[in-house]
Amino acid sequence: MVDNDTRVDFYRQMVRIRAYEAALQANYHADKTPQWDIGAGLIPGEMHLAAGQEPVAVGLCANLVKDDAITGPHRPHHLALAKGVDINKMTAEIYGRDTGLCHGKGGHMHLFDPEQHFSCSGIIAEGMPVAVGQALAFSRKGTDNVAVAVAGEGAANQGAFHEALNLAAMWKLPVVFIIEDNDWAISVARDTATPIKDGSLRGTAYGMPSQRVEGNDVEMIYEACKTAVERARAGGGPTLLEIHTVRMWGHFEGDAQAYRGDELNEANERDPIPAYEKRLVSAGLLTEDQAAQIKAEAEAEVQAAIDFATSSPEPKPSDAYLHVFA
Amino acid sequence: MTATIDAGTRRVTTAKAISEGIAQEMRANPDVFVMGEDVGPYGGIFGSTGGLFEEFGSTRIIDTPISETGFIGAGIGAAVEGMRPVVELMFVDFFGVCFDQIYNHMAKIHYESGGNVKVPMVLMTAVGGGYSDAAQHSQCLWATFAHMPGMKVVAPSNPYDAKGLMISAIRDDNPVVFMFHKGVMGLPWMAKNPRSIGPVPEEEYTVPIGKAAIAHEGSDVTVVSLSISVQHCLDVAEELEGTTSVEVIDLRSVVPLDREAILASVAKTGKLVIVDEDYKSFGLSGEIVATIADQDPSMLKKPVERVCYPDVPVPYARVLEYEALPTRDKIKAAIAKVTA
Amino acid sequence: MSETITFPEMSNDPDAEGVVATWFANTGETVKAGQVIAEVMVDKVSVDVEAPIAGTITCLVEEEGTAKQGQEIARID
Repeated sequence: MVDNDTRVDFYRQMVRIRAYEAALQANYHADKTPQWDIGAGLIPGEMHLAAGQEPVAVGLCANLVKDDAITGPHRPHHLALAKGVDINKMTAEIYGRDTGLCHGKGGHMHLFDPEQHFSCSGIIAEGMPVAVGQALAFSRKGTDNVAVAVAGEGAANQGAFHEALNLAAMWKLPVVFIIEDNDWAISVARDTATPIKDGSLRGTAYGMPSQRVEGNDVEMIYEACKTAVERARAGGGPTLLEIHTVRMWGHFEGDAQAYRGDELNEANERDPIPAYEKRLVSAGLLTEDQAAQIKAEAEAEVQAAIDFATSSPEPKPSDAYLHVFA
Repeated sequence: MTATIDAGTRRVTTAKAISEGIAQEMRANPDVFVMGEDVGPYGGIFGSTGGLFEEFGSTRIIDTPISETGFIGAGIGAAVEGMRPVVELMFVDFFGVCFDQIYNHMAKIHYESGGNVKVPMVLMTAVGGGYSDAAQHSQCLWATFAHMPGMKVVAPSNPYDAKGLMISAIRDDNPVVFMFHKGVMGLPWMAKNPRSIGPVPEEEYTVPIGKAAIAHEGSDVTVVSLSISVQHCLDVAEELEGTTSVEVIDLRSVVPLDREAILASVAKTGKLVIVDEDYKSFGLSGEIVATIADQDPSMLKKPVERVCYPDVPVPYARVLEYEALPTRDKIKAAIAKVTA
Repeated sequence: MSETITFPEMSNDPDAEGVVATWFANTGETVKAGQVIAEVMVDKVSVDVEAPIAGTITCLVEEEGTAKQGQEIARID
């Protein structure tokens, strides 16, 4: 059971993430006109936003501490923010500035924050073996820290997923595998790529406790993650959680999503944030004024981060040659 | 290019030329089919299979799970049993998750079997950067594939060659890695050089694999290039007309490499600039230099200028990426240096 | 006989502006009926525009220029 203050905090964190993704979406497109050019503007390149998936990040990270690790996918912002990655440095990195987490080298798909033990990459499922390695290090060092690997349901069909699960179970490592099932791998629906309805069977098959969590409910996700994280911390080995969530927007920004048909509207009706707000308001934990205040504060924080980024210097061109080797 | 195209031929994008080549071969041969991620209704992330799903349906245009080892291996199996799959690896940078199937199986089965088994398969893949897709989504890597024996490697620079090479690749009984640079596809959502749109005959035709093209004749300097860099070289060659006579060789194929064309041009000009968006060291540009050195180094009147991607991962920030890319300015400077 | 080609109605929002992303034929060139003469985009969705009749084309909008849905973008004479 989650106490009332925590519930309001969950709401605040989800609102913060949504404000971030919405601001990035608006800014990303704003300077790519009139002819939309993916390479143009202050945020060039690909952009994968996580609107709808906030409950996963918030429910998970409420169970984690700074020295726990997360390896995330190409859609990482919700996880980074919930984990505690510095919002200014993260935004500066997305804007390609020298003050960014990676001095502009990595960009939105390659955010590295060693203080928070947060990293993400663009190759599907390839963060999973890395999380296994982080768990191996924690276990060797005798800490009770946990590594979490987050990937999509598409990643569960990639070899690295299977190898990582097998290894983690064989070596009984403190790792939690989270599959964010948002129903789509770009344009490929889950049902056409994965014959089993319940992906948690795969964790069972590899010898670890597994659970599929429906409902995209931040509190249920929190509880499922709590069990998994506590198990890992106590030396009980890995867990697989398949969490059904929703991808409200495109796979990437600029994705026309013609392949989704009517499902797109239906998916947007499943927006978890207004639903949670309604619950908290009904429970008397939140007034509409407070909700508005929370949104305003989130938007202000996000804008400040964007201002930090846009007023930061770009890296020097010759920096392109740095950091190949230590 | 070496072919003469009728005036009034309709123009299409490179993406459309590729999908048209595949479509025509699929109509002619029921053994041809396509597999890959988002190749169906989406039409391929970079448009390589546009319109195919609508015409041929889901049995012949197959959307796969994210299982590259699985479906590339499946392509190999179908090919050894007589089919002609066209398999798409979405970004060449993903080869790491499935390279065993590619270099140890697709490329070696014919040899290991003493010539008894063929693998008539096309592995097509998107390569290249310049639009801020960072280290894991911007590489070219033709040298990596070329280095492993047993697979042909082609990289068209324009729509005409793209269609002709795709048809040749499908008809070839060998595995052909068809590498299309995203920047030559002529996509409406990415900045494009006008050379990414061009005249393409409606009927089927082939462009030979293993033969370079003289994209621009000249006598002062040989510029050897491929893929998107050919477009940049042509822009520079046209700009320098009247000042420097630049011969641009469009390799079109990396394996087989048209060494004769390279040697013939350098024998004529004595000066060589290589423009290659793949990493500089241990790759294609070195192989081109070795081709001259092996044959007759005295052909060269000046040291070779290599305008290549430096040996660094691709950085995200635009200012960093363009510091590294082989841009027109760098090509011009190299030509100036070598003809000084 | 002369025919104008208008920017297709592609979006749920009739006022949404689009872009003529690519011209496949230039002013003064001869085109065939059914030939794809342009690729246009609204809201990230792109479609091909075909010439309705054969003739000489005059392009009325610059490449990468904006146009409203229903606006004339070319003429074939």
